[in-house]
Amino acid sequence: MRVVIADDAVLLREGLVRLVEENGHAVVAAVGDGPGLVAAISEHRPDVSIVDVRMPPSHTDEGLRAAVQARGLVPGTPILVLSQYVEVSYADDLLADRAGAVGYLLKDRVSEVADFLDALARVAGGGTVLDPEVVGQLLVRRRRDDPLRNLTPREREVLALMAEGRSNTAIARRIFVTEGAVEKHVRNIFTKLDLSPDDEQHRRVLAVLAYLRS
Amino acid sequence: MPSVKGMTPSIARQLGRDTLYVLVGFPLGLIAVVLSMTLFWLGVGLSLIWIGVPLLVGVMLLVRGLATVERARMAPVIGRRMPHPYYKRPSGPGFWAQVRAPLTDGQSWLDLLHAMFRFIPSTIAFAVVLTWWVGAVSGLTFPLWDWSIPRGPDNVDLPELLGLGDGSITRTILYLAIGAFFALTLYPVVRGAALLEASFARGLLSGVNELREQVAEAEAARDVAQAQKAAAVSAEATALRRLERDIHDGPQQRLVRLAIDLGRAEQQFATDPEAARATVTEALAQTRETLDELRALSRGIAPPILVDRGLPAALTALAGRCTVPVQLDAPPIGRLNPAVESTAYFVVAEALTNVAKHSRASEAEVSVQPTGGGLLIVVSDDGVGGASTAKGHGLAGLDDRVRAAGGVLDIDSPAGRGTTLRAAVPL
Repeated sequence: MRVVIADDAVLLREGLVRLVEENGHAVVAAVGDGPGLVAAISEHRPDVSIVDVRMPPSHTDEGLRAAVQARGLVPGTPILVLSQYVEVSYADDLLADRAGAVGYLLKDRVSEVADFLDALARVAGGGTVLDPEVVGQLLVRRRRDDPLRNLTPREREVLALMAEGRSNTAIARRIFVTEGAVEKHVRNIFTKLDLSPDDEQHRRVLAVLAYLRS
Repeated sequence: MPSVKGMTPSIARQLGRDTLYVLVGFPLGLIAVVLSMTLFWLGVGLSLIWIGVPLLVGVMLLVRGLATVERARMAPVIGRRMPHPYYKRPSGPGFWAQVRAPLTDGQSWLDLLHAMFRFIPSTIAFAVVLTWWVGAVSGLTFPLWDWSIPRGPDNVDLPELLGLGDGSITRTILYLAIGAFFALTLYPVVRGAALLEASFARGLLSGVNELREQVAEAEAARDVAQAQKAAAVSAEATALRRLERDIHDGPQQRLVRLAIDLGRAEQQFATDPEAARATVTEALAQTRETLDELRALSRGIAPPILVDRGLPAALTALAGRCTVPVQLDAPPIGRLNPAVESTAYFVVAEALTNVAKHSRASEAEVSVQPTGGGLLIVVSDDGVGGASTAKGHGLAGLDDRVRAAGGVLDIDSPAGRGTTLRAAVPL
C-alpha cells in the first residue's frame, strides 16, 4: 500500500514511518501539518493516510479538519485518524459524509502492531474502524425508553463490536462463539432496534452508526 | 390646545400627584416650621432648669412623625418607596436611656433640620405651582369670564400697555396665548417644583440611610468574593496536591519499573532470548498502562474535549467512559463561560468517579440543564448511599470547586437508598 503520514511530533512520525515500511508498505509522504496533508493527498492519491488530530497551528483538531477537507477534494480517500484522546464528536465529523473508508483510533493502539495493521488494511479497503472508547460513548443512553435498554449484555457486546467495524467472523473469534451464533445475535439486534437488515458489511456498520448517532 | 383628556393617562396622573404633593406640602411646611422652631428653642432655653429636656425629646419624636409622613408622601413623586430608616433604640428602661436615644440619634437631628427648613423649598414650589395652574386655567378660560370684568374709564389692559391695541379680539388672543404657554409648560414645571421639594426631603430624611445601605451591600459583596476566593485557593491547592501524588504513584513508578524491565531484557537477550521476549511483552503492557494513566491525568487538568467541543460533548465522553451504565440528559447548549463549563464538567466527572468506585450502583443518571441564570447539575445513582462532603472525602474538594464558581453543592445520600448530588452554578 502507498501511505501518507501526518503527525507534527517528529519522534512519533518517524516511528510510524518505520513501522509501516517494515511491514511492506511504501510511505509516499510524511508531513507535519494540515495544509501539508491536504497537498500530499491531492498529489499522491495514497491508498490510505494516517493522520494525527492535533497539529499546528491551533493544536486542537487541525488534523481532523484537514482530513475532512482532503476528502472534499479527493472523495472517499481512506483516512485513519489517530489521537491521544478519542471523543465521539470528532468521529461524527469523519463519518458525516457516509462514504466509509475512515478509521478513528486511540494512538496507543499502534503498539498492538498486528491489530493496527489490520485496521489500516480495513480502512484502505473501504471499511469503517472505530475505537472501542468511541463506541462506548455512542452507547450512552439519551432517553429512558431507549431501545438499547432491551438488548441483552451479549447483544450489547456484539453491537459494540459491529460499531467498531468488525466482520461477523472477527466478532465470532473475539467472543469465542460460532459465526452462526453471531448472525443470530445480529438479527435480534436489528429487530430490537427496528433496523432493516443488510448483508453488506460496510452498509451494515453505517446503519448501526447512524442509529447510534441519531 | 392640550387638555388633560388629550394627554396620556400617566402624565395626567403624575401631574395630579405632583400638584397635590406641593399644595399639601406648603401648609405642612408652615406647621412644621412653627412647631419645631418654637418648641425646640423653648426646650433649649428651658433645659437649663431640666424641664426642657423632655420637651426636646418630645420635639424629636414630633419631627420623626413629620418625617415619616413626608417619606410616605414623596413616594409617588420620586417613584419609589422610601424605607423607614434606622433610629437608635433606648439602651435600657431607665429615664436617661429613654431620653438619650432620640437626642443622640443622627437621623433625628436631620429630621429636625428638615422640619425647620422645609418651608423654604415648599414655599418656592407652592408659589410656582400655583402660578402655573392659575395662569393656565385662567388664560385658557378667559373668553368665558372676560365679560364679567368691570372696565372703568381709566382701565388700561395688558395688550394696550404692550402697544398691541385694545380690541377685544386682540385681548382674547393674547390671554389665550398666555394660557396656552402656561398649560404647555405646566407638566415639566410642576414636576420640577415637586422634585425640588422632594429632593430636599430625600437628602435629609433618607440620604444617610441610603448611604448606610450601600456600604452594607458593598461589604456583603466583598465577603462573598472573599469566601469565593478562599474556596478557589483551597480547591486549587487540593487539586495540585492530588496531581502531584497521582503522578508520583502512577506514571513515575511505572516508568522506573519499565526502565528496570528493559535493563533486564537487555541482559537476557545474551543469555536467554525466550525470557527476554517475555520481559519485553511485560514492558509493553507497562507502557500502555502508563499511557492510560497519563491520559487520565491530563484529562483531570484540562480536558481537551471540553476546550475544543464544549460541555455536552465532554459530558458524553464522561458518560461513555464510566463503568456503570449512565443515562445522560444534557440538551445542546452553546459555549458557556470556560469557568462554568469546567466546574460543571468536574462536578460530573468527580460524581461519576465516586459512583464507579464506591456506590456499587447498577445505574446512574446525569442531567445538566440551564435554568434561569444558572446551570443545574444532577447526578444520581441507585447504589448504597452514605456519601458526604466531610473532610477527606473526594467530595470535599468538589464542594470547594463549586463554591469557587459562586455555586452551591448539595448531597443527599441516605444509607442504602442511593446518592443524589445536586449543584447549581451561576452562568
